[in-house]
Parts: sequence; structure tokens; C-alpha cells
Amino acid sequence: MESTLGNALVLLAIGMITVFLILALVVISGNILIKIVNKYAPEPTKKLTRASRSATGTAPEVIAAITAVVETVTGGHGKVERINKIDK
Amino acid sequence: MEVLNKLYEMTAFGAIGEDPLTLVMLALALFLLYLGIGKRFEPLLLVPIAFGVLLANFPGGHMSVTPSTEIIEHMTILEIAKEHGIMNMLYYMLIKTGLLPPLIFMGVGAMTDFGPMLRNLKLAFFGAAAQIGIFTVLISAVALGFSLKEAAALGIIGGADGPTAIYTAIKLAPHLLGPIAIAAYSYMALVPVIIPLVVKYTISEKELKINMKEQDKLYPSKVKIKDLHRTKIIFPIVLCAIVSILVPSSVPLVGMLLFGNLIKEIGSDTNRLMVAASETIMNAATIFLGLTVGATMTAATFLDKTTLLIILGGFIAFAISIFGGIMAVKVHNLFSKKKINPLIGATGLSAVPMASRVANDIALKYDSKNHLLQYAMSSNISGVIGSAVAAGVLISFLS
Repeated sequence: MESTLGNALVLLAIGMITVFLILALVVISGNILIKIVNKYAPEPTKKLTRASRSATGTAPEVIAAITAVVETVTGGHGKVERINKIDK
Repeated sequence: MEVLNKLYEMTAFGAIGEDPLTLVMLALALFLLYLGIGKRFEPLLLVPIAFGVLLANFPGGHMSVTPSTEIIEHMTILEIAKEHGIMNMLYYMLIKTGLLPPLIFMGVGAMTDFGPMLRNLKLAFFGAAAQIGIFTVLISAVALGFSLKEAAALGIIGGADGPTAIYTAIKLAPHLLGPIAIAAYSYMALVPVIIPLVVKYTISEKELKINMKEQDKLYPSKVKIKDLHRTKIIFPIVLCAIVSILVPSSVPLVGMLLFGNLIKEIGSDTNRLMVAASETIMNAATIFLGLTVGATMTAATFLDKTTLLIILGGFIAFAISIFGGIMAVKVHNLFSKKKINPLIGATGLSAVPMASRVANDIALKYDSKNHLLQYAMSSNISGVIGSAVAAGVLISFLS
């Protein structure tokens, strides 16, 4: 019994140290990754064409949302060419 | 008369009365069905488990899982199906091989957003502190007479992660699979009761009013994410490499979780895979997991003192894990200017996203502007990784 309890205590120490170590590495690697991505691959600023804005009068965030939905639904094959508001 | 006798023998009426304990199991199955359907306690898993119990305990149906013996382990799948029925075939093919929990983890990954964790990386530490319940209950269980393997399988309930608990039980104590699965999923369903209970006795009103957004304004983070999309694609690959090197035995769970997450984050190019992982495969795996785990619970294997101890031990593991997370935040607050709401620590359990939602609701009760869901999700998601790593440690040391 004593040796089993001893083993359980060893497991407690090893288990908790490992979990903390892994999550510490998650934090450290996450921070490094964010810095690298910020430095080498900043997100390209999406420029909406003047034509698309003036033609539709649609807010950029709405265009972005519609484009994202079309891309998801069509599996990347569909493209938004025009956005028309339908009056009922 | 002879025809009537044969008709009676064909039915299971006689066999049901032979063993009254079977009736207890049938009543338990109905109770679990009530919890799943009537009370909506984790219905996606509790309903298949309860129906599995029902099927296994109707005599003559041959739908109960036969405990593993050397003879069965050397039989082919076809032989098992022929001699022991299809439930045993499913059990030995899908559960005994440890296939289903990693498949479910893949689906969980495909539904998980690492964004909140990446935005609040420091909070991930509290997901580690909340694993303390696993190991403290392991020690208590050993003191109560469980073997180390059984105690480890029991303790992992404290991680509040159903698939992890089942995976660990399969690897270390398959004979305890039924009660461990029931305890794990029951307590996960009771998160809205257990977290407020522990919070009530451990966190003061002043601490509950700590507003995370105000703290962020007072002490802003030094790291700002400019391209979250790219970061979220690379993150699961990096994380998988770290975990694979340090705790290889947790890779079946963590690796599949991260693969599922990667196909989600890539976007439209892998959208079909994401849908398959998070819907088709996940749903099929959940059905088979629930039914087969339920079918392990017969009167002979379930109705004994061990089951009661598992149910009790599981609750204590759960409560200690929540307590551990809260205490870790309190210790942090002693040494840091930037205060953290201890509710964040309470969500270091895996039960995603229910634990975060419960913590958010409690915070809103004390301050209607204190929305801490995003912060809670950080420690909540890291809790999933933490409990899978803890399971990996236990499996590699004990199996």
C-alpha cells in the first residue's frame, strides 16, 4: 500500500509539472508565433474597389460578410460580382 | 398448452423475473433516459448510453458487452459477432481499440476556436491548475484500496472531459468503463450546479466583481495580434509538434483535436473535411460510443460498491479541479497588479463551453457589464489540452 501511495504521489508531481510545462510552452510558443506572424505576414489590407462601393452603396463589412458566406457555401468556387438590394 | 409454453419460453418474461437486479438496471436506464430527455442533461450522450443500458439488460437480446477475456481478445471480429452478438463486435472494434474518443476529439477540434485563447494566452495557465483534482483523487482512491490504474481512470473524471475519461478508462481500467463514463457525463451536465456551489464558498463578492475588460484597459497586453487568421492556422501545427515530442501518449487525443481545428481554420478549401469531422463522423462516433458504453453496464458489472465510490470520487475530483483553478487565480492576484476574476480559474475544466457560460452568468449577476466569456474560454480550452496531457502522462506511466 505504501509503495502504491508513493507511486501516486510521484504521479501527482510528474503529472502536474508536465501539464504546467506543456501549457507554459503553449503560452510561450503562442507569443512567439504571434510576433513572427505580425512581423513577416501582416494581413493584407483588403481594398474594395471604388466601383463596388459606389455601385452598390453597401458597407465594406457587409460586402466582406457576404463574400465570406459565398466562399464557404460554394467551397471557394463562387465569386461575388454584384450586390443588389431587392425591394419587396 | 405446449404451444403456449413454447411461446412463453420465446419471450423474455421468465428471464426478467429470474434476476431482480436486472430490474434495477432497467430502472436505472429509464432514469438516465429521463435525465437525458426530460431534464436535457447532455442528451446527445446520455440518451445513447441509457438506451445501451436498456438493450444490454433485456435478457435474451445478447446485446450486453461480455467482459474482456484472453479468449475474446484472440478472436476475429467476425467470430466475436457470431458468438457474442453485434454489440460486442462494435465494442471490441471501436471501443477496445480506443478508436472513438480520438474521432470525437477531432470533431471537438473542428468546433473549437483557439482565438480567445490566443488573445489571452496568459490565462491558459489556469487550465493547468484545474487538473489538480485528477491527481488528488488518484491518491485518495489508492488510499481507499483501488489499484493505481483504477485510481487513475477514476481521477481523470476531474478533467471534466468525457472522451478523455473514456479513453483513459479503456487503456487503464476497461472493467470500470461504464460507471466512469456515466459519472463523467453526469457531472459535465451538472457543471451549472457544481461551479456555482464551489464558487459560493471560495470567491468573495469583491473578487466576483473584478471586471476583466477594465483590467485590460488599465494594463493593456503588450502583444497585439495583427493577423489572427494566419496565426490560428499555424498554431495547431506548432502545438501538435510540442505535445508530440513531450507527451507522445497524449497524441491520439491532442493530435486529432488539433487536426480537426486545423481543417476548420484553413477555411473554405477544407470546409468539406471540417463538416465531415464535426458533423458526420462526430455524430456517428457519439452514437456508437454511447450505445457500447451503455451496453457494458449490466447488473453483474455495475451494481457494486466500486460504482458508488466512482460516482462519489468523480464528484470530489470535479470539485477539487474547480477549487484548484480558483486558488491559482487568487495566488496570481496576490502578486500581480492586473487582477483576474477567479471565475476564470473555475473554468479551467474541460467542459467547453458550458463552464465558460456558467462563469459568465455568475459574473453578470454581480456586475451587468462584466462579460468575461472570451476570457473564460481561454482557460476552458487550455483545460481540454491540460486534461488530455494529464491522461497521456497517466497512460504512459501506468499501461
